[in-house]
Amino acid sequence: MKDQPQTVFVVDDDDAVRNSLRMLLKSAGLHAEVAASAQEFLATYETSQPGCLVLDVRMPGMSGLEMQHELNVRGATVPVIFITGHGDIPMAVEAMQHGAFDFLQKPFRDQELLDRVQRALVRDSEYRARLRHTDRIRERLASLSPREREVLDLVTQGKANKMVAGDLGVSQRTVEIHRAHVMQKMEAGSLAELVRMMMVVAP
Amino acid sequence: MLAPAMVLSTQNGNGANNDGDGGTNRVRTIIVAGRSSERTHQVLRALRGFTNVIWPTSLESALAQASSKDAGCLVIADDLREEPIDEFLQEARELQRNLPIFVITEPDDVAEAVSAMRHGATAVIEIPPSFAALCDEVKRAMQ
Repeated sequence: MKDQPQTVFVVDDDDAVRNSLRMLLKSAGLHAEVAASAQEFLATYETSQPGCLVLDVRMPGMSGLEMQHELNVRGATVPVIFITGHGDIPMAVEAMQHGAFDFLQKPFRDQELLDRVQRALVRDSEYRARLRHTDRIRERLASLSPREREVLDLVTQGKANKMVAGDLGVSQRTVEIHRAHVMQKMEAGSLAELVRMMMVVAP
Repeated sequence: MLAPAMVLSTQNGNGANNDGDGGTNRVRTIIVAGRSSERTHQVLRALRGFTNVIWPTSLESALAQASSKDAGCLVIADDLREEPIDEFLQEARELQRNLPIFVITEPDDVAEAVSAMRHGATAVIEIPPSFAALCDEVKRAMQ
């Protein structure tokens, strides 16, 4: 499956800031979408869209911090870089405690923002890759028969085929066949890899 | 010069924690660390209502104390503008994933505060105006 392109979303009520950020991001080869208010952004944003968000703290109507709260409620994982001209420590701490990726005070150098945006995009990309990996493992797990799942659970606990056979009341040969199916369906090259997969999906 | 890992016990029972071992209460420690002895003393005065406050003489020994199962929270009394403390925070966070870590700093160190948060601080509290916010945070952490 081809990845969706990453977008840098900019939400700022100041026209001049929005336009200059759009041009800056474009000049760095990044795809940007801008919105003049939290409401305008939230009306169209879908949490599955990869990218990051540059968000002004103080805006009329819904503030940046309120919008961050709304995104958290929606389960969005988009990295948020706050920008503000009137930041203070309590505001920055609140934003970071609620999961902000960064908090930048205006005025900032163009490169300073671009560096943070690049880091945020890498973080989002890594997070989504981990998510896809976990989903693939879950899909493979779902393809196992109940008996194969039992064998998987026991072998990843470190039990030898003979012990698994004893636990399940079947022959060792049957366990070997189930185990081979498990390895094939899970696309695991070794027991160690299988254990790692189970650790990824462990609750 | 501060005494190494001294314990300040006062009238208040904050910090008691039932450890599930036959109903006995284990008192967790509040660790105060800092590179400025003046700021550390100010914090210690502010926390005089709490029991089991310890103040190791160095950041290294504070790390050792923070890794103990009795650690209740870590207060770093510092001025982040003097020298970044990110590496120390990261180490403390790696040692104790759930340990509340509070950093005290001068007002307006927004960039440094953000960096401290990124490296593992639970909260950064600016002082002045008062130590009330710190006391509230420590009280919540010890509950």
